[in-house]
Amino acid sequence: MPELREVPDSPPPFLGSWRRVYVAVLIYLAGVILAAYFFARAYR
Amino acid sequence: MRALDWVVLLASLISIVAYGLYRSRGSNTVDRYLLAGKTMPWYAMALSIMATQASAITFISTTGQSYVDGMRFVQAYFGLPLAMIVICATVVPVFYRARVYTAYEYLENRFDAKTRALASVIFLCQRGLSAGLTIYAPAIVLSVILGWPERATTMLMGATVITYTVIGGIKAVTWSDVQQMGVIFLGLWIALITVIVLLPHSVSFGDAVYLAGAAGRLNAVTTNFDWNDRFNIWSGLIGSTFLFLSYFGCDQSQVQRYLTGRSIAESRLSLLFNAVAKIPMQFFVLFIGAMVFVFYVFVEPPVLFQHAELARITQASEYHGVETRYHEAFERRRDAALALAQAHRAGDGAAHEHSLADYRSAQQSLDAARANAARLVEENHGEKGFSDTNYIFLSFVTRYLPVGIVGLVIAVIMAATMSASSGEINSLATVTVVDIYRRHFRRGASDHHYVTASRWATLFWGTYAVAFAGWGKKLGSLIVAVNVVGSLFYGSLLGCFVVAFAFRRVGGTAVFLGMLAGEAAIFWTFLRGNISYLWYNVIGCVVVVAVSLALTWVAPGVFAKPSSLPTQ
Repeated sequence: MPELREVPDSPPPFLGSWRRVYVAVLIYLAGVILAAYFFARAYR
Repeated sequence: MRALDWVVLLASLISIVAYGLYRSRGSNTVDRYLLAGKTMPWYAMALSIMATQASAITFISTTGQSYVDGMRFVQAYFGLPLAMIVICATVVPVFYRARVYTAYEYLENRFDAKTRALASVIFLCQRGLSAGLTIYAPAIVLSVILGWPERATTMLMGATVITYTVIGGIKAVTWSDVQQMGVIFLGLWIALITVIVLLPHSVSFGDAVYLAGAAGRLNAVTTNFDWNDRFNIWSGLIGSTFLFLSYFGCDQSQVQRYLTGRSIAESRLSLLFNAVAKIPMQFFVLFIGAMVFVFYVFVEPPVLFQHAELARITQASEYHGVETRYHEAFERRRDAALALAQAHRAGDGAAHEHSLADYRSAQQSLDAARANAARLVEENHGEKGFSDTNYIFLSFVTRYLPVGIVGLVIAVIMAATMSASSGEINSLATVTVVDIYRRHFRRGASDHHYVTASRWATLFWGTYAVAFAGWGKKLGSLIVAVNVVGSLFYGSLLGCFVVAFAFRRVGGTAVFLGMLAGEAAIFWTFLRGNISYLWYNVIGCVVVVAVSLALTWVAPGVFAKPSSLPTQ
């Protein structure tokens, strides 16, 4: 049976906190989808 | 393949396998054999996770998918970053704190032994089937290149993968993945540059992109909502988020990779790297397929890319008519494409409209002729479902890439598959030994005993995967087939973990019954056959959560059980 233990949760090496990293990834996703959308529109 | 291709192929494969085995020395305990002693850096895990998905199927099937259906398959990855964020914030720290070897080990801590056993069995069914498809993909390569029967090549590849996996363990798998990803990126760029160089001198790169778009091959985003449409932005954002939550949160073949990390932060970074890199990579691979399509606008492709089947139907009385219509349509499309590119460059509106209509009309005639040829193959075999999608890219590689590069691309395809297969088989063996054998049949044995059991389990699952691989050719596009098989089981697994993390009052029996109901709902939907597979994950997950909560609400005395684990 696995046991619970304390595992240190260190901050990311950039942007200061994991929450900021997640927000950055969301902004990136929105940008990628928009870029793909306009790419598809430009060449349809 | 010429002598230089064989030299490049053999040298690449031997060096990759040897490097992986070299880095895996000392994997003689369960912790080292299954979790690499938790010593892996984030970039190794990140590339290993990516390599698992970027198997031979990525090269063979995705490019073919783009050739016949355009780039809209990329939308199936829009949910990946969303899923990765959720997993990083919730699943990763919980698994680390629970010190588990497998994701399902955690379920016993949270629920009970029968829930862990059911989740393990569902994973073994699903991943066992997928492992067969992964081995089948390179067998196609060898069949096309060497002319061997697919069954023989499947067995050859399977035997190689089994040997490599049994000896190396997770460490060998991960480090060979790192090396392979470098080779894969190199191979991708060379393939794209080559196809662009091979275009006629009068057709620029800009013309090629425009012609691909005019034929509907750059349809990267489609916004229409349709339950039957496999790939649109809605199924991509919603359905694929559930698929990737299941894949990276509940599938041991992925969980095991990020459990090898030195810390929670290293595991999170490996997943977020994939969240950022995977969509552009998939876009890039699909774009290569679109460029191969443009190449074949100017060089007449075979009516069907599966040469053996094409040879069989050439004797049919109808075939001559099909071939004539195909040839005429090709010439019409080529001429219209040249005129369209010229009109587009000149900005001649009237000529542009006329050429565009001609180009698209010729494309429809070409598609109709190909469909007729496919029908002849189906009549010849007496069964429906023929598809040559998986042969398109290989046909191009072997016919038109320069000597040496052919060997490199084939090496990439085979090495990537060996790695992906070994990772799958390794995770199947882990669940079999940790969640089934050690938990229910032989508790408290020595470390050496479990390492030996893991090697035997690896041998068993490798053999099983090879046996299942024969079914692969009946499933059409392999990349879709892998996702369909996964989606039949992922939804209920995901639902179980959602309940585990989010609803602490629900007990083991409630979620156990919920998973059975979830699987029943998924298979009922699958058999009705009128909903895209990406939605199976949503349906399965929702049914598991709903049934578990309903049972707990109706009879809390029977089904409610406070969890002893903190949730995130």
